[in-house]
Amino acid sequence: MEREVHVGISGEMRSPSRRRLLWQYLASMRLAVSLLVLLAIASVIGTVLRQQESYSSYAFRFGAFWFQVYRDLGVYNVYRTVWYMGIVGFLVFSTATCITRNTPRMLREILEFPVRQRESAIRAQEHFLELHSELPAPVLQDRLLFLLRNSGYRPRSESHDGRGHVAARKGKFNRVGYFLTHLAIITICGAALYNADVPVRWSEWMGTLVPETNFNMPLTSIPHSAWMPLHNPAYRGSVTLPEGDTADVVFESAGDGYLVQKLPFQIHLKSFHIKYYSTGMPRDFVSDVVLYGPKGQILKSGVVRVNHPMSYDGTEIYQSSFSDGGSLLRMRSFLLGLPAMAAGKLVGRVGQTLKAGSSGYSISLKNFKMTNVVPWSSVDGHAHPGSPVINLGPSFIYVVHTPQGEAGEFKTYMLPIHRDGQSFFVQGFRETRGAQYTYVAIPAGPHGGISLFVDYLAALQQTLSGGASPTPAVLTQVFQQVAQVDAPTMSPEKQALFIRDSMLAMTQMHDYPAPFILRLSSFHHRWAASLQVTKWPGTIVIYWGCVALVLGIFILFYLPQKKVWAELRADPEGGSRLLLGAGADRNRLEFAREFAGWREALESSSGSTSTSVTR
Amino acid sequence: MANSRVENWAPEQLPNTHRTMRDTIFQGAPWGAALTLSAGFIVFRYGAQFGEWQYLVLLCWYLALLVAGSLWRSLQLAVPAVVIPALAAVWMYSVGQTPENSWILHYFLQGLAGAMWMCGLLLLATATYILHVWLRSEPLGRWATRLTWAGTLMGFIGLGVRWRETYIGHPSWGHIPVSNLWEVFVLFCASTSLFYLYYEQRYRARALGAFVMPLVASAVGFLIWLTFAQHMDRIEPLIPALQSFWMKLHVPMMFVGYANFTVASLVGLAYLLATRSATRGGALARAMPAPEIMDDVMYRAIAFGFLFFTTATILGAVWAAKAWGGFWSWDPKETWALIVWLNYAGYLHARVVKGWRGTSMAWWSFMSIWVVTFCFLGVNLFLSGLHSYGKL
Ligand code: HEM
Repeated sequence: MEREVHVGISGEMRSPSRRRLLWQYLASMRLAVSLLVLLAIASVIGTVLRQQESYSSYAFRFGAFWFQVYRDLGVYNVYRTVWYMGIVGFLVFSTATCITRNTPRMLREILEFPVRQRESAIRAQEHFLELHSELPAPVLQDRLLFLLRNSGYRPRSESHDGRGHVAARKGKFNRVGYFLTHLAIITICGAALYNADVPVRWSEWMGTLVPETNFNMPLTSIPHSAWMPLHNPAYRGSVTLPEGDTADVVFESAGDGYLVQKLPFQIHLKSFHIKYYSTGMPRDFVSDVVLYGPKGQILKSGVVRVNHPMSYDGTEIYQSSFSDGGSLLRMRSFLLGLPAMAAGKLVGRVGQTLKAGSSGYSISLKNFKMTNVVPWSSVDGHAHPGSPVINLGPSFIYVVHTPQGEAGEFKTYMLPIHRDGQSFFVQGFRETRGAQYTYVAIPAGPHGGISLFVDYLAALQQTLSGGASPTPAVLTQVFQQVAQVDAPTMSPEKQALFIRDSMLAMTQMHDYPAPFILRLSSFHHRWAASLQVTKWPGTIVIYWGCVALVLGIFILFYLPQKKVWAELRADPEGGSRLLLGAGADRNRLEFAREFAGWREALESSSGSTSTSVTR
Repeated sequence: MANSRVENWAPEQLPNTHRTMRDTIFQGAPWGAALTLSAGFIVFRYGAQFGEWQYLVLLCWYLALLVAGSLWRSLQLAVPAVVIPALAAVWMYSVGQTPENSWILHYFLQGLAGAMWMCGLLLLATATYILHVWLRSEPLGRWATRLTWAGTLMGFIGLGVRWRETYIGHPSWGHIPVSNLWEVFVLFCASTSLFYLYYEQRYRARALGAFVMPLVASAVGFLIWLTFAQHMDRIEPLIPALQSFWMKLHVPMMFVGYANFTVASLVGLAYLLATRSATRGGALARAMPAPEIMDDVMYRAIAFGFLFFTTATILGAVWAAKAWGGFWSWDPKETWALIVWLNYAGYLHARVVKGWRGTSMAWWSFMSIWVVTFCFLGVNLFLSGLHSYGKL
């Protein structure tokens, strides 16, 4: 059958030279199906394991031995490994072989469609019938032509040596679909490889380009071998820019390091802001940027938003993420357990590490967050119908290192929460990263702030270390002494409430890992935006490839090729004989029904029955 | 008879298997006219606010409905049966009625009610299909079809109304309802049933419902769980990454693919069980359509699904290129879409080019449901990535 001939090995078994066998194997269907399935299976790996995380996190997960095995297999970035690219490349190569092999034959098939067909070929069609009729051959032929025309064909006929030949077909361009789809695959894969930075990968492989693995190195001292050429045809890198800063490079991650790409312009981030929905969920992330040319001239300015990149001269700039860009924080520090100490003052930027006087303690300011609208339940575990969320205001995280080298992490919210007529400041702490925070609700004094609590704590400690036992009377007495200085107008009920809440906070602070508390008094917020910059000249080729792919698939599926051949001749015993053969390469069931209909019509119009074969 | 002339040949003698272009156009004419009027009305009324994209979308819908309605006439009734009640609900909202003060909205037309009606009707339909095959009762079969139709229509009405509801109270939240797991499950149930109905009618193969609909029923079960245990039917605003025109194209097209692949896979199961039963002279084989028919349904569904799946994946890649700066980030969802695609490309080659048929291809088609389900659902539940729409 025809469909066997054009793919299979069966068609060309005559001269099995080695080269030819290889050629046949490359273009064989078996290989194509195997490669498709193999590629599908190989692709699973990269979805099971998160790709391109830091090597240290993989090493932690798998242990030293498996970490190395997996690294050598390229499991951390499967889709960039030589073997994965190899499968894709092989598939592309096989498809290309397939096209070059099939196209000439298919072209011939499109262009040539002989009306006359050998009898054996007619008999070999998928559907075949032989019919003897009383009608003379020309009349029978007219009926057949009428029938075919009515079914939407445009039949042609010829006569030779007293025999009539009829041929018709539909969907002759079906094979164009094959050509389009397979060429599209090659085009898309080719363009994608180009976009995947083949020249750079190549030089990386050759060793002329070496990713830098030190992430804290200043730009100027990054060795030259980690810099990609300025006129790199394709890249995709990103840069994190604090508000007000300017950059002219982006970084592309490579293995466990990164490469530096110089940009043909400078990006200046004027400002960054987040828009919110009324629920507190972010609605949009917006960077206001200006592009400067090498001589300082403004090339373009505008906003970069999620889903709305900025394009300039073949490069696209995307909003990809954001973080703190070094906000300025003014803090007050309260020493725990030292009575009547005025609160100290500290100033620093997020990212900096401050020394706490000469105590040997150091404070690293980690992260500042502008708004914290959280569900009530996450603060105190109770439901608060009517106001399910609470605004805790800005927060910042700091890590305190003791002189002994121990560390604790703290999280401080700026705004108090209000519960049962008393206000509290929420302070979280934890001793190991990744653990849950323990939250302390520190009661606020009548003037706000936590100094009343801190003073009370100090006074208590002093009294108790003097040998007194913590009876309620002692607790109240000590508090009244403190309150006389700090909050003389406090009512007795308020006092009782405050004492109760202070006791609670003190038990919660049992494991507090630092001798002081920092509170945020004011801040100057500064964002940093991560912008991604890509240059992909292959894009337009990919678009056209995609169009060809879809169009080709449509043609293949919905414009099936159907062919009909007939031969008519006068029967020596009177009347005439019709041989009709036909086949379709898709939708065979439908075509079988069409053919059966023709048979019925021909039989009834010629008053005879036929013998027919369907393969 | 012997001397009858060609011209005397009555057209009714012609086989009716073939529908010529003329037939199609003729049957489609009133439909085309109705569509043209509606499109004209939309342009006349809202054209002032339209950009070129809106015109393009309108044109695509117009052409798609025109072709689909001409090829499948039941759609010519189904479209108004969805659009009119949905518009009625939109109108009711616009005159200040709400589910709290209008029982029609409350019990029938609000998005949630539509989805719940769909759930109930499709569950009932599933049971009826099974009984139909079990008892070999034709009337039950007809009821099963009607129930499926009713469920499908309610599902689409619910989605249509929900689209409007996303804007109510929060104009900035508005979005096409395909943005979270709940919404896409409504879409999945409704569209799988719709495509199933097409194949049922086209092949007169009602017994297939006993195989296809149980899967829809289990999706309905999941949807009910999402609704009552997870409260995922609540309308929430879109995260920034999803606020894109492309979502409107990408997601619904994906679901045309998923729906057809699902139908094909369960028809594959039907094929396997029926042919097994046939070798033992079992009753199932007699109740089911001929194996060639099931084979053909499988191929048709996969081919149609493949076309849409390809287009949808490409649109997704284009969206990614516009939104994230790369066509392909090897995000788990993308990769699984590629896996599904490669799988079916393999299937089509084996079938079309190598001419494989029968049991092996039925197995292939049936087993593919695992791949498709993982792509659709498993990725969201088990893997993390950029496609966060489906988070539980
Ligand atoms: C990435 C790889 C490939 C993809 C995605 C692909 C895709 C397709 C698709 C979608 C079809 C249409 C199937 C149908 O009509 O139902 C098709 C048909 C076909 N493919 Fe491939 N193909 C690939 C590689 C190959 C290779 C390597 C060969 C060489 C053996 C090949 C040979 C064919 C042939 C001969 C047809 C049938 C054309 C016809 O009968 O008109 N394909 N392919």
